[in-house]
Amino acid sequence: MRDFVLVHINGVPHRIAAPRAFETLSRFLRYDQRATGTKIVCEEGDCGACTVLVGRVEDRQSCLSASEGTEPRQAGLPVLHYRPINSCIQFLFQLDCTHVVTVEGLARGGTLTPVQDAMVRCHGAQCGYCTPGFIMAMAGMYECTSHPTVGDVRAALTGNLCRCTGYDSIIKAALEATDQPKIEEIYPSAPIVNAIKQYECDAVRLQGLQASEPPSLPGGQEAGRLGGFFKPNDLASAIRFKSENPKCVIVQGATDFGVWCNKRGFVAEAMMSLDGIEGLGDVRHEDGALLVGGRASLADFESAVRGIVPELVPIMDRFGSPQIKNAGTLAGNIANASPIADTLPFLFVTNASLELTGLSGTRTVAISDFYLGYKKLDLQPDELITRIIIPLPSKDETLRLYKISKRSHLDISSFTAAMLMRRSDGHVDSIRIAYGGVAPVVLRLPKTEQFLTGKALARETFAEAGEIARGEVAPISDVRGTRDFRLQLAQNVLQRFYFDIA
Amino acid sequence: MSAVGKDVPHDSARGHVTGESIYVDDVPPLFGELVVDFVWSPYSKARIVSLDLSEARKLAYVYTHEDLHHNRLGPIVADEPLLVDDGLCTFRGQPIVVVAAETRAAVDAAKRAVRIEFEELKPILTIDDAIAAQSFIGETRYIRRGDAEAAIASAEHVIEGVFFNQGQDHFYLESQAAIVQPGENGAMHVLSSTQHPTEVQEVIAHLLGLQMNQVVVTTKRMGGAFGGKEAQATHPATMAALVSQKTKRPTRIVYDKDTDMHVTGKRHAFQNRYRVGFTRSGEIVGMKVEFFSDGGAYADLSPAVMARAMTHAENSYYIANMDIRGTVCRTNTPPNTAFRGFGGPQGVATMENVVEEIAAFLKKDALDVRRVNCYGVETRNTTPYGEVVPNNTLPRLLTELPERCDYRARVDAVRAFNASSQTQLKGIALSTVKFGISFNTKFLNQANALVNIYLDGSVQVSTGATEMGQGVNTKIAQLVADELHIPYERVTVMITSTEKNNNTSASAASSAADLNGSAAADGARRIRERLDELESRIGKQETWEKLVKAAYHERVSLGERGFYATPRLDWDWTSGQGTPFLYYTMGTACSEVLIDRFTGDLKVLRSDVLMDIGKPINPGIDRGQLVGAFIQGMGWVTTEDLRYDEKGVLLSHSPTTYKIPNINDLPEVFNMDWIDVENPINVGGSKAVGEPPLLMAISIWCAVKNALQFVANGDIARLKLPATNEEILMRLTEYAKRGAAVA
Repeated sequence: MRDFVLVHINGVPHRIAAPRAFETLSRFLRYDQRATGTKIVCEEGDCGACTVLVGRVEDRQSCLSASEGTEPRQAGLPVLHYRPINSCIQFLFQLDCTHVVTVEGLARGGTLTPVQDAMVRCHGAQCGYCTPGFIMAMAGMYECTSHPTVGDVRAALTGNLCRCTGYDSIIKAALEATDQPKIEEIYPSAPIVNAIKQYECDAVRLQGLQASEPPSLPGGQEAGRLGGFFKPNDLASAIRFKSENPKCVIVQGATDFGVWCNKRGFVAEAMMSLDGIEGLGDVRHEDGALLVGGRASLADFESAVRGIVPELVPIMDRFGSPQIKNAGTLAGNIANASPIADTLPFLFVTNASLELTGLSGTRTVAISDFYLGYKKLDLQPDELITRIIIPLPSKDETLRLYKISKRSHLDISSFTAAMLMRRSDGHVDSIRIAYGGVAPVVLRLPKTEQFLTGKALARETFAEAGEIARGEVAPISDVRGTRDFRLQLAQNVLQRFYFDIA
Repeated sequence: MSAVGKDVPHDSARGHVTGESIYVDDVPPLFGELVVDFVWSPYSKARIVSLDLSEARKLAYVYTHEDLHHNRLGPIVADEPLLVDDGLCTFRGQPIVVVAAETRAAVDAAKRAVRIEFEELKPILTIDDAIAAQSFIGETRYIRRGDAEAAIASAEHVIEGVFFNQGQDHFYLESQAAIVQPGENGAMHVLSSTQHPTEVQEVIAHLLGLQMNQVVVTTKRMGGAFGGKEAQATHPATMAALVSQKTKRPTRIVYDKDTDMHVTGKRHAFQNRYRVGFTRSGEIVGMKVEFFSDGGAYADLSPAVMARAMTHAENSYYIANMDIRGTVCRTNTPPNTAFRGFGGPQGVATMENVVEEIAAFLKKDALDVRRVNCYGVETRNTTPYGEVVPNNTLPRLLTELPERCDYRARVDAVRAFNASSQTQLKGIALSTVKFGISFNTKFLNQANALVNIYLDGSVQVSTGATEMGQGVNTKIAQLVADELHIPYERVTVMITSTEKNNNTSASAASSAADLNGSAAADGARRIRERLDELESRIGKQETWEKLVKAAYHERVSLGERGFYATPRLDWDWTSGQGTPFLYYTMGTACSEVLIDRFTGDLKVLRSDVLMDIGKPINPGIDRGQLVGAFIQGMGWVTTEDLRYDEKGVLLSHSPTTYKIPNINDLPEVFNMDWIDVENPINVGGSKAVGEPPLLMAISIWCAVKNALQFVANGDIARLKLPATNEEILMRLTEYAKRGAAVA
């Protein structure tokens, strides 16, 4: 059992123990390491100014690049696989056995790398505050592809906000930098992997502090300082720890947890990472179902569905940035229990189920039974979500997914919907409809489904179904839309569906 | 060898891409430095019943208004207390108590230990409420020409309506920030993220009881500003300076993003009533427009913003009889402030809305209505405030852009599409802008510059311009290099400092490069004249370096202070007449949008922009200004939706809830260009470009309005700004219901 995490930063190893390990990576970089190129702006993963690359020795290997598939793995010594993440909502304790590359780590010896040089030439930087984040997101893109399309660039940079340039010059720069080296060329994996190899099988335990001990770090914020952190190396230890610490938070991606800590001063009683547990990161396609491991990232999920559920791809494109999807997990999206979680309507209409593992073994619960109320789950204190089982739509089923948000990309939805329909001879044989953003939990619409079953496919029918659907929901007004807006969407989306499938 | 006109990279670009550029919070902590923060009013309006600082004082340094020598600030009238001093909080976010300690955690603990009991009062939160309560800032102002009332009364057709626009958050990525280092004998050295170092200097000196010569304010760069750091960077800097004065220790204040969005002012919301009379050909014969802006709780720059809205009320159109009135409403929101365009966008959007409505009423193409009314080159070229529009290129732009973007054919295609599509709706519009360049306040139109040449021939230039990404320093270096006849690389523009340049104006009104560039060129020119004179005496020197050495040995001064005052300007509010602008930057834009009839989702299919920006000093930098401003304007008219609850609490206070344009929001086809016309009256033949292109995005909003016109059942489609998907869907639903009722 180790009491520190090992984090390489720009090639240099750091052994980081409590309480320092409870800091966010961005604050540690800026206020401890004085590596101030990494900027902190929103501290909630929505602007990308804090983007850095995190390299891991991975059993999974996916790339969020539409135009090029996953590049084959090299044989021999494992290499580090680098992905961009938001360092403002990533804690040092999550980064055990990783290599972090920051903007300071790119231009070694003072020679700009091609993305940097192109940004200078193309006027891709104006005020410059977002620029390091863009540079790192571009470098992350070039880890996956050497000849990006405009679509690849937009997908890779969707998590980075720029208020000055209007992005045009940034896109131009990103496309021009085709000879950008892989991070492997700047930091050969071998020495870092060898250092990591000595430690990667260890469990890690970071003790929490006493409440009487004042926070002391320059960044001033230590998420887990009271509860402490555990990274087990097997599932049994994880379940035991969770049963002993019923309020333990599984901090896997921290894409929402980080926001709670930064914005609401949340203090966890205990925290656990599943990174050390073999197998939980897998995404497999088996017997018409997709099996997604309990710590599989949204990026890996997206890569897996790309070929097999094309309807989900545009939703995943708009769901979040690469930075968020590289960190966040599908299980986290489910366990977080937001009524506007973008994957849930899809999981509802496909009748997905969850494999929950606890002290007494494993049980399976249907996703539609998992939510007992607003943020209330059918999950025992000792249980973990170890797998998500998604029956894939068959060829004779029609799937459509809708995400309505104020801004099309990288915005939390005002309203979401999923429809899965079987039809014959111009009639609806069966249909499952799920809406998000209209109630404290994602809803199936039984009355609307029943009304449509057996009906002919006609615009009037779906218009009438819309009115029924409107009566089945009870949305609220909030910053993302008024009640009236959501009611109208709940009604109209069925007509939109009709035209999409007719 | 000329540097002017060359596309040289931004002088900070290399630092930006490597992370080496230093912003305020990147400066390592100074020995003994304190973290400064403040406790602000949680209510839009409240009386302080009791204030107990005893517990907080055990944990941190705590200061109130009683610790200040003076407690009123404001760029136009000093009406705003830095810290609440009469027991009445008048906006949510208003600072009450300043807190400082060695660590962030200690500051947070002390803030929690400040005990304030409030009595919540009923706030004024909307323009309607303010009008009902007659709650205004200053007097109503007027610009009048002819007899608008009579012209409207005798017009063939009359339309009236109300135009609404929301505010906009600046969303600069670097929040408000300052570092203060106390010096000898009460002096202060301030590093501030401000567009206006002189104002920070003046306010600190005044509020702390110092002479201005005891306060040095420096600005290396800002991580974005857009007007938000013109007047409101003073508050954090002064709070930090107060702590430094009291403790004799260095201090640092950096707002977090949410705090910044909660407590700082925004672009002004407007609500404008208009009545317009016109002929059957669409020619406007008379127009009355009454502007009401939401000024927030204190004046800040609101009267000047209103002045610019009023002087842009007619936009590019000659209106013989016009009556323009402007009233700033006092509400209980943070004082609204400068934001790129400075009232111009609100005035122009109101006018472009009117033109669209006239076209809809007459069932004419809006471009034809625009052409009928457009300012002439020789005649019909005097504005309602009496300024003759010089070198008017609007008619040319209104001819060239429609041809370039195939406007007529696309209008037909949009009509055909809308007739056939049951699921989508398209709209197209071609809008214009005529943006006056110069500060409306005459005395602000001056600048000085310091040019120093060193023995090796390298050159330092210092001006009052502040660098916020717009590339002003790069342009100044280009101008100076040309005046001295030396390579651009020999010139460095230094950190902006009130120690080098006194009594400077804000980098604002698009004019930082015009004013400071002119002053720097003036200084450089005078040195060059001395060097030319020297060469005429001692003979031509082989190289610049030899010339500089020779000048030094001959005891010829190698430093100079340049000065520039914009000629011609004149403005009189009592008559509402004068020549407030040196020239106008002009442009046209055509945008086409696609709307989902069921969800209200909006997509910008294509935007074509054609402008007259003179001869750019740096075309690459100017293109960046054009594109960046346009997309910022697109955010204002589409997705940037400031939402408040019924008590005035801002709900959209971070990027999760406040949606500025994303890289995926760019128009699918996006053409940005300018015509090649020199502007003889300005430095380098250039024109100011900072703000005008933002207003070109109004074409997108007009295109949405145009799309709605197809389903408005013969009525004039109404649309608020921004055209969010919700606003669009609610209008579509309203028209569908009305259509069903009629059918």
